[in-house]
Amino acid sequence: MKLREHEAMKIFGEHGIPVPKGFLLRSPDELGPRMGELGDRFVLKAQVEVGGRGKSGGIVVASPSNGERLAAELFKKDIKGIPVREVLAVEYLDIQKEYYASIAIDRSTKQALILFTDQGGVDIETLAKENPDALRKASLPLLMRDIPPFMIRDLLGSSPKEIGSVLNKLFRVFCEKDALLAEINPLVVTPSGIFAADAKLIIDDNALSRQGITLNRDLTEREREAEKHGFSYVPLKGDIGVIGNGAGLTMATLDLIEYYDGKAANFLDVGGGADQERVMHAVKLVAADPSVKVIVVNLLGGITRCDEVARGIISAGVVQPVIVRLAGTNEAEGRQILDGRGYRMMESMEQAVKAAVEAVQ
Amino acid sequence: MIYGDRNTGVIVTGATGKQGAFHIALMNEYARKVGGKGVVAGVTPGKAGQEVAGVPVYNSIREALKEHDASASVLFVPGFAAGDSIMEAASAGLSLVVAITEHIPVHDTMKAISYARIHGCDVIGPNCPGLLSPGEIKMGIMPVHLSSRGHIGVISRSGTLTYEIVDQLTRAGLGQSTIVGIGGDPVIGQTFRDVLRRFEEDDQTKAVVILGEVGGSLEEEGARATDLPIAAYIAGISAPPEKRMGHAGAIIEGGEGDARSKIARLRQMGVPVASRPSEVPRLIREIL
Repeated sequence: MKLREHEAMKIFGEHGIPVPKGFLLRSPDELGPRMGELGDRFVLKAQVEVGGRGKSGGIVVASPSNGERLAAELFKKDIKGIPVREVLAVEYLDIQKEYYASIAIDRSTKQALILFTDQGGVDIETLAKENPDALRKASLPLLMRDIPPFMIRDLLGSSPKEIGSVLNKLFRVFCEKDALLAEINPLVVTPSGIFAADAKLIIDDNALSRQGITLNRDLTEREREAEKHGFSYVPLKGDIGVIGNGAGLTMATLDLIEYYDGKAANFLDVGGGADQERVMHAVKLVAADPSVKVIVVNLLGGITRCDEVARGIISAGVVQPVIVRLAGTNEAEGRQILDGRGYRMMESMEQAVKAAVEAVQ
Repeated sequence: MIYGDRNTGVIVTGATGKQGAFHIALMNEYARKVGGKGVVAGVTPGKAGQEVAGVPVYNSIREALKEHDASASVLFVPGFAAGDSIMEAASAGLSLVVAITEHIPVHDTMKAISYARIHGCDVIGPNCPGLLSPGEIKMGIMPVHLSSRGHIGVISRSGTLTYEIVDQLTRAGLGQSTIVGIGGDPVIGQTFRDVLRRFEEDDQTKAVVILGEVGGSLEEEGARATDLPIAAYIAGISAPPEKRMGHAGAIIEGGEGDARSKIARLRQMGVPVASRPSEVPRLIREIL
C-alpha cells in the first residue's frame, strides 16, 4: 500500500531524515491559525497519489497574504480526476541543488537496490533510459544493518558526504517499515542544510498487519470485498466475466479471450480449494458488474472437486450465461449437475473461451 | 533428476495443519507408488509425539534429524512464520527447502534466502506448488495424474497453469523429467536461471518449457544464460499496468515487465514463444 506524502514524511522525520517544517490541512480554514509557523513563503501540496502532481497545479507557492485564498482554491481542485481532500503545508525551501535517492526491491539479486543520482527532481525512469550513467546503484542484502562506507562512497561520488547519513536512515526506514520502495525525490541542498523535499513509501501488502495497518486504501470496495473471500480481483473494461483458480491460469484465460478478439471484464482468481461457497461468492461478485454479459469459469486442479464447484455455480443463480471448464476429481458428477440446469460445460479452456466470445458477439 | 530423487527423505514443516496433513498423505501415496522414501517426519513446534498421516511429528527439524535421514523440507506454515522455517531448515543442514506458503512478507523472504545461501541451502518458492519428477519424487502439491515420465523439463511461476501445460504435454506424448514451480512472488529462491542450470546437467532432460508471466525479467535472464533448447509461454498479455494479477510478483511496474516486451526479447534470443497454451507441445516438438 502506498502511503500519502505527509504520512511518509512523518515516518522519515521520525527516523532522523531532515524534512521541512509543516502540517496537514483537512480543510482550507485550518491554515490561518497556524500560518505563522511557516514563515514568509511556504508551499501547499495536494495529497493526491498521482504522478506529475506539480505540473497539474497540485503544488503552489504561497505567502501569508495569499495563503488562505490559494488553499481554498486548491481544495476545490481535481488533480488528474482525483479530488483534493488533504493539503500539506510546508516551509519553502531555498533549493541550491536537487538529488534523488531510493531503496527498492531487486528481484534479480534478491537484495535491496539503492539508487542515487545528483540529477534529482526528474522522472527517474526517464533518466534511467536517457542518461543511465548518471544513476548510481548498489545492492545490499537485508541481513545488513547499515550501508557499508565503501558503498556510500561509490553511490555519492563527489556529492556532499552528509547525504550518506540520509541514505543510511532511509535504509532503516525501508527495513523497519517492510517497504517495497522508500524514495526521496528530490533530496535537496539548501543554505540551511539537506532536506527530503518529497517522501514516498510503499508498504508490502503482505506485511500490513504487522505494520499496524488494518485497511488497504489502494483497493476499491469491490476489490476489498473480493479480498475478504480470499480472491484476487482486478476490474477490466470488457464484457466477459472471468473466474479461474490460480493467477497464471486466470491470466492465460484473459489472454485467450483477447486472442479470440473478446474483452474480459475482470480478473478473478478464487485461489486454492475452490469449494461450493467460494465459487458461489465468486460468481455473484463477477455477475454484479453490470457490464458482464457472460461468465467463463475455468477451474483446474488435482484437489478441486467438480461437483462442489458445479453446486456453487448453481447456487449463485445469476442471470448471465455461465460457461464452465472444469477438470479435477468427480468430473462426471459435476458435468451431470451442470448439464441438467442448462449450463454449458466445455472440454478445454480454449473451447470455453471461444464459446464465451461467440456468446457476446 | 534435479533437486531430489526417490531416495530423498523429506521433512514437512507445518505438518499438523490441515494443508500439511493432507499433502503429507498425498506425497507419501506417491512415494509408495514409485518406491520412494517420501515424507519421513513432520515438524510443528510444541506438537512432538503426535502422528500425522502415519508420520511422526517433532518440535524442530534438528530433533527430527536425530531419528530420520532427510535432506529436504516442504513448508506449509503460515506466511508470518515461513521465513523462520526456511532459516531453521537451512541451519539444520538441509540442502533444499520448498516453500509452498503464500503471503510471506517479502523482506522475510529476502532475509531467509540470504541466510539459506550462507548455509548452502537452496530455496524453491515461496508461493509455489513445489516440484514433481514423475516416477521419482513429489515435493509439494502438484497433482500427479496429469504428468508422465519423459524428457521435457518444465519451469513455471504459476501453479494451475503448470498443470494445464503438463496435461497438454502428456496428451501430446511428451513426458516430463522434472516440473518445478518456482513461485509467484516478486522475490523467489531458485529462478529460471538456477533451474535451467540444473537441467543442463540432467541427462534425462532434452528440452525445457518456461512458463512465465508479467513482472520482472527472470524469464529473459534465464533464457539468456542457457544453451538448452527452450520454448516459452508468457501469461498476462492482457494485464493492465500497475495492477497485481493474483500473484504478488505479477505486476507491471514503471513500464517494466510487461508481457509483450518479454515475449519480444525472448523471440529475439531465438526462443519460440507460444501465443496460446495449446501451442506449447508443437513448439517443443519443433526444437527437440
